[in-house]
Amino acid sequence: MIAGAVGMLRVGIELAEPLSFSVTERLLLMALIAASLGVFAWRSWPIASNILHSKKDADFSLRPVGRRAWKFFWEVLCQSKVIRQRPLPGLAHAFVFWGFLAFALVTLNHLAVGFGHGFLQYSGSFGPFYVGFAGIWAVLVAVSISGLFVRRFVVRPKWLGKRVSVESGVIAGLIFVLMVSYLAALFVGDKGFAARGLWWVHTLSLLVFLPLIPRTKHLHLLLSPLTVFLKRPQFSQIPKLEGDEDFGLFAGRDVTQIIALQAYSCVECGRCAEHCPATTTGKVLNPKKIVLEMRSYLNTAGPGSEEPLLDRPGSAMSMEAAFECTTCGACEFQCPVGVQHLSILIGLRRGAVNTGAWEDRYGTKLFLALEKQGNALGMSSIERDKFIAKQEFPIFDGSQEYCLWLGCMGSYDPKGREIVSDFARVMQALGVQFGVLKKEKCTGDPARRLGNDLLFGDLAAQGLKTFAAAKVTKIVTICPHCVRTIATDWLEYGVAPEIEHHSDFMARHAHLLPKQDGGSIVYHDPCYLGRYRDVYDEPRAVVAAAGELVEAERHHERSFCCGAGGGQAFLGEESGERVSHVRAKELIATGAQTIGTACPFCNSMFRDALGAVGGENPPQLLDIAQLVARGLAPRALSSDAEEKSG
Amino acid sequence: MKIVVAVKQVPERDAVVRVAADGRGVDESDVAWTMNEPDAYALEEALQLKERAGEGEVVVLCAGPERVQSTLREALAKGADRAVHVVTPEAGEGSLGERDSLDVARLLAEAVRAEAADLVLTGLQSDDLGAGQTGVVMAELLGVPHATLVLHVELLDGGDGRRIKVKRELEDGWMQHVEMALPALLTIQSGGNRLRYATLMGIKRARQKEMREVQAAAAGKRVDEVVKVSPPTRVKRTEMLTGSADEVAAKLVERLRFEVKVL
Repeated sequence: MIAGAVGMLRVGIELAEPLSFSVTERLLLMALIAASLGVFAWRSWPIASNILHSKKDADFSLRPVGRRAWKFFWEVLCQSKVIRQRPLPGLAHAFVFWGFLAFALVTLNHLAVGFGHGFLQYSGSFGPFYVGFAGIWAVLVAVSISGLFVRRFVVRPKWLGKRVSVESGVIAGLIFVLMVSYLAALFVGDKGFAARGLWWVHTLSLLVFLPLIPRTKHLHLLLSPLTVFLKRPQFSQIPKLEGDEDFGLFAGRDVTQIIALQAYSCVECGRCAEHCPATTTGKVLNPKKIVLEMRSYLNTAGPGSEEPLLDRPGSAMSMEAAFECTTCGACEFQCPVGVQHLSILIGLRRGAVNTGAWEDRYGTKLFLALEKQGNALGMSSIERDKFIAKQEFPIFDGSQEYCLWLGCMGSYDPKGREIVSDFARVMQALGVQFGVLKKEKCTGDPARRLGNDLLFGDLAAQGLKTFAAAKVTKIVTICPHCVRTIATDWLEYGVAPEIEHHSDFMARHAHLLPKQDGGSIVYHDPCYLGRYRDVYDEPRAVVAAAGELVEAERHHERSFCCGAGGGQAFLGEESGERVSHVRAKELIATGAQTIGTACPFCNSMFRDALGAVGGENPPQLLDIAQLVARGLAPRALSSDAEEKSG
Repeated sequence: MKIVVAVKQVPERDAVVRVAADGRGVDESDVAWTMNEPDAYALEEALQLKERAGEGEVVVLCAGPERVQSTLREALAKGADRAVHVVTPEAGEGSLGERDSLDVARLLAEAVRAEAADLVLTGLQSDDLGAGQTGVVMAELLGVPHATLVLHVELLDGGDGRRIKVKRELEDGWMQHVEMALPALLTIQSGGNRLRYATLMGIKRARQKEMREVQAAAAGKRVDEVVKVSPPTRVKRTEMLTGSADEVAAKLVERLRFEVKVL
């Protein structure tokens, strides 16, 4: 194909174009262009109006422009997410997209010809080159769009949805005709009837294509580049509430321009649902439907509406769905058009919880436990005091380098306590000075993800005060949820001391960790460490020192949630299959002797799951700190550590 | 239907309680405060009664120093319509520590009288002193019938609010259902309802709600006297049961049933 194209270049390529147009033809052309643009504007206007009339994003800032430009280059121009997450159809899509870009000049020239002002000269070298160049793209686009057509209408992957999208077929057909009519014009020698016919076929296809864009998912052609450029800079960013009447996404009046733009950009590819732990285990929540319902709300109730967003008749945007999200972020991470599902889902929860509309036995119990006991497990803080005393953890007094943050799981959960104790042994073995706080309250992570801003704000403010009073400068913890919440979510209330996850800490000391032959270990990426903080290699380095690292079927940024996040660990039984069981089976299927975790919540979920689906001989379940501690001689080490700390 | 809920602010469950220097009270300097739990259930019952009746007013009432306003605010945030704060001095003469249950009941009854409430609810006892007196003494002072250990209140006569039926908790899982005329006073047992969580909207709305301050009358003469406050001394007793497994099991069951009373 390429050889052929090069061959054509050498002989000098020319595009068959009509030599002149009659006045009638020109008038007809003008009328058709006007009609096409008119219908396009008429169909686009309600959408533009809905976006423009949505609430302004108070926290929006174009800065950092550099990062936005990079994202635009990488995600839009390079089609990185489109290709990476679904390589074959992704590449086909990328060819169509790049082909469109290549065709921009050709299309302009094509219409200019109609008015006698064609600017691609075939006598020079650029004209023939560009026409040939576009010809190569035309072939690629035609092949790709045919492939995508077959995928959508013959293969029909379930994530594209049950409904067959007729307009997608029409659009694919138009694109195919555009390419073929262009290619044909390359091979038609004369400039007479055939050239005129092809020119008109190409023109009419263009003019029909344009007005089809706004009311179909092909709107993403226009909106998604903008959406990707304008999306909120952070992963799972939760915008600050503004003023006394902002409680999150309660009604249409709370929907912001960014959310509206994202809702209209959705291309319905279903990547979000395909990777969603709720959708794929038979729950009500489907992130794609949430986005489409948001769009449908804007189309019917409109921005500024007082009608509640949740639980409209027949709507998939239901209270039940909103509270099934584990906030694992697979949807947001996968989305190729820049939709940020988490700020929508958590926003809906905020709207429901901050107004008291959400009534849930377990949720209320959790909130009251956080209000009264200051920890998610509802235990008395005296239990933590006893644990600290028993483990003889030094109390942080400002002289130690690190403050070891226990977190709710590390303070109260039996397995969490084992993990913390083992990590403390590792720190002692490394001779690192640390102390624990006398009193700790929850960082507010479950309250934050469930949308309880009052509770989260109280806990964040108290936590900041506690760290300041104790003069803490460096925090280390076993819990990725604590890391994310303290480092990112607390920023609304103040800047916390530097915090790192124990995987980072241990990876930095990897050369000092004991080398072990601990058998095969499959590592499970916690969502709040991987997708949330981009930490993949550090825990793997720790695992690799303890044994042979094995990967599960889904790993790194595609890791599948354990089911605990977003407050789900505290919300009682889930509907459908348990997320933790699905993931545990996947981990067991690797045949690894040990499952390595890096989050006490994942650990707790798998502990239960292994009991149910682990069979006769389930793999061992250990946190990465425990994997390291396994290589430390227990007695020698503790006396060692005493010498060092003494 | 007007409901007054009398609440008390008590030290948090996990608070480190130290005996004050004079040995007759608790050192309050380091204590975090919260709403007395049975009072929180009384407030919940009042809010649900109002919601069921579809109309009415819930007035929350508390006696104490400045600090009790945080508890009143919490009640307003959860849905009470107004608050009345009977202000007592922080310490010294007239402070809560110097008043006995009768005296506090007098302060509260005085404030309730001014409200002409249909129903007065309060917790059956406080988590700190646990005297269980204030509610019933208030009823006596107000001259209204009362019921104690109430888990649930039902409005009779189609909800016009003139009669109520209450469910009381007796010993051993027995319940008693009593019909009463209004006005009445009920002391509420914990656990009858599910408490609601405080919301951001509630807190913001609470800022605009009325918080009326009333100066407390001078303290009357105490009818009782606190002689000494002391933490319980911990006694650990270990007893080895001997015999065959069957004998040990039988002895253990007997001890657990009749001595420890957990079976």
